[in-house]
Amino acid sequence: MSQSSSIGRALDEQRAFKYLLVAPAVFVILLIGLYPFVKLILTSFQNITMFEDDHSFNGFVHYARLFGDERLWESLLHTVAFTAVALPIEILLGYLLALLFLDPMPLKRLFVAVILLPTVISPIVAGSTWRLMFDHRFGPVNQIIAFLAGGEVKLLWTVDPFLVWPAILVAEVWQWTPFMFLILLAALSNVDREQLEAAQIDGASWLMTFRKIVLPAIAPVLFVAVLIRALDLFRLFDVIWTMTGGGPGTRTETISVYAYQMAFREFDISYSSAIAFLVIFALTALVIFALRRVEIAR
Amino acid sequence: MILNRTIGAVASAAMALALSGQASAQSSAERAVEAAKQYAGATLNVFYEAGLQPLDPKNFTGPMWEELTGIKINVIEAPLDEMFTKIMQAHRAGSGAYDVLNVVPNQMPDLAFAGVLEPLDDWVEQYGYRDELATIAPVYRDNQMMVEGTTYGFPDDGDVLVLYYRRDLFEDPDNMAEFKAKHGYDLAPPKTWQQFNDIGQFITDKYAPDIYGAGMLRQPGNAQYLFQERFRVEGGKFFDGETMAATINSEAGVKVFTEMVEANKFMPPGVEQWGFIEAFNAFLSGDIAMTISWPPVGRWAAGYGKGTEALAWIPETKVADKIGYALPPGGTPELAVGFSLAVASGSSNKEAAYLFIQWMNSEEISLQRVQLPFALRDPFRDSHFTSEEYRSRWSNAGDYLDTLKAGAETGLLDLSLIQTDRYEEGIRQAISRLWAGDDPQEILDDLAESWDELTERIGLEKQKRAYLDWAGKPNAYPN
Repeated sequence: MSQSSSIGRALDEQRAFKYLLVAPAVFVILLIGLYPFVKLILTSFQNITMFEDDHSFNGFVHYARLFGDERLWESLLHTVAFTAVALPIEILLGYLLALLFLDPMPLKRLFVAVILLPTVISPIVAGSTWRLMFDHRFGPVNQIIAFLAGGEVKLLWTVDPFLVWPAILVAEVWQWTPFMFLILLAALSNVDREQLEAAQIDGASWLMTFRKIVLPAIAPVLFVAVLIRALDLFRLFDVIWTMTGGGPGTRTETISVYAYQMAFREFDISYSSAIAFLVIFALTALVIFALRRVEIAR
Repeated sequence: MILNRTIGAVASAAMALALSGQASAQSSAERAVEAAKQYAGATLNVFYEAGLQPLDPKNFTGPMWEELTGIKINVIEAPLDEMFTKIMQAHRAGSGAYDVLNVVPNQMPDLAFAGVLEPLDDWVEQYGYRDELATIAPVYRDNQMMVEGTTYGFPDDGDVLVLYYRRDLFEDPDNMAEFKAKHGYDLAPPKTWQQFNDIGQFITDKYAPDIYGAGMLRQPGNAQYLFQERFRVEGGKFFDGETMAATINSEAGVKVFTEMVEANKFMPPGVEQWGFIEAFNAFLSGDIAMTISWPPVGRWAAGYGKGTEALAWIPETKVADKIGYALPPGGTPELAVGFSLAVASGSSNKEAAYLFIQWMNSEEISLQRVQLPFALRDPFRDSHFTSEEYRSRWSNAGDYLDTLKAGAETGLLDLSLIQTDRYEEGIRQAISRLWAGDDPQEILDDLAESWDELTERIGLEKQKRAYLDWAGKPNAYPN
């Protein structure tokens, strides 16, 4: 009894010492991760604007307002729709590029480095660059189209409601397809060559080979890449802010742009916090669902 | 004890007398410099609009002030539409990031009520600056300096939106005859918006694509000022003074919005994206016959500042000696933006900051500053408009200064309420929708609805008082 209790005491001490060691790290993580989140939730229940510091409990007023806010749901729709369009394009183009670079070729490393350049550029810079590219007077895009069309072209890429989303799509795909390319190139390089050769000898079609051998092999990596990009696209802000500012009107407002507008243009800090909480909630639910779906977390 | 107090009082009185004697011997600029020497070695963080504006403290006043006083000037910049937010954020955070602030006057009440700005009256008296404040042009002095009787800023920029036109085209005998035959009145700077449209269309029909009738500020951030002006020229009122209901969606508002879209048709393609840079670029290049913009355009178009390194990016003017200056249609130009110099309440160098702004704003230094070809400060003192030196800067600089002076007399104040920026953001959004092709009535109905909600949230009675206070000023609406 006494021996077992002394062992138990020693174990407790050991455990306590472990906790002591990790405590500073946990504290820092809580401080920088959890505190802002808790503060955000608290703020969403208050009525703080840039002009007034009303810290009293305001109930669910801001959450109730979310439901009736058409502009919010419109921006959410923009976000989801843009993600649904941009993500497959990036995957497809990234995959095709990766296939191109699978086999040995001269100056392969140099080409890969050049292709990756857009990814290392700050999104704000990328957005500004594309805004200039699409400028109706001086931008090369209109000049190239004019050259091909054989006459003057004045397409208002960042004003015309019909052109503004394609312009943003081009900028976004240009910047992030290389990310997909890099991930998929790494994944495809690890697909078992012997299996591919066996499938070829057995006369399997390209589609069958892709479905039965390639896709299962690259799926875990592809999933992570898709998840990262989907989250990025859901939070899309920089490129849109620099290219259109969410305009014309509210036509290109994403949920992040709208939250920013509410917080720093209309100074409705508490309502903006409620929007941010909605986004966090939605993204967390999405990530948990996705992780469970593919059982990657295990 | 009593004796000590008496001696103290006498000493104070003697010192006051000595100071007042000294005050009369020195200019206000000199007084500021003398007093500021005690802060030698300090650094003042000065908040400016990004772009050309900060070239003044960076290249001119900053180095001069440091040489005179030993106080360094560190310039921090932000785009115009982010200045209010940055100032408020710095104040909320208690960062003390800024010592000197450039404040957009219609935001001054918000900043003053939020405690961002330091009251200046005690220093004004102490450093004998009251008399020089009185010589600032009345419209700026009376509307861009005080909040509820307390001085929070020194009006420092005579912003006014003026019409610039091509005299050579307007005075061309063929054009004059053709125009008169078509419209039945003389080709001259337009007095009404209908005339503006007639002239614009006439020139576009005759000269496009080489020259278009007009090119205007259309980016929402700029265009909102033109809208505010034109809306009032057409008889519009922002709110019902009784109920405080937004009346921006009135007939006048819809008319202005509709005509703005129509007018774009005789302007260069893509004008919907034009801001300050695009408009003056086109005017200096000779691509448009009329534009309405801030005063620097008139100087640069005349070739003033040509050869200045800081202006190397500006296209060489092709229209020097062909420029005419006039008030825009309606004769009541928007006193758009403007800047007042203020001291941040969170500053740890408040007195030094005050002395710097007194020195900058003084008759002596400000006259030099408004003549800097590369900076954007515009004449705002009576002495600036009448300065012989300034009037001799180019052939018709006198006309230019007379037009600015006339604008400063009849100009319309930017709307100023509690939380003004939120109302202005609504106008910016509305204009953005207008260029996207939405229906003017629908846009303005939505704007009115959002303004009403905002007013409700702020407090109807509180906002009504603020509006009536603003609307009661002589330059709030055309007389």
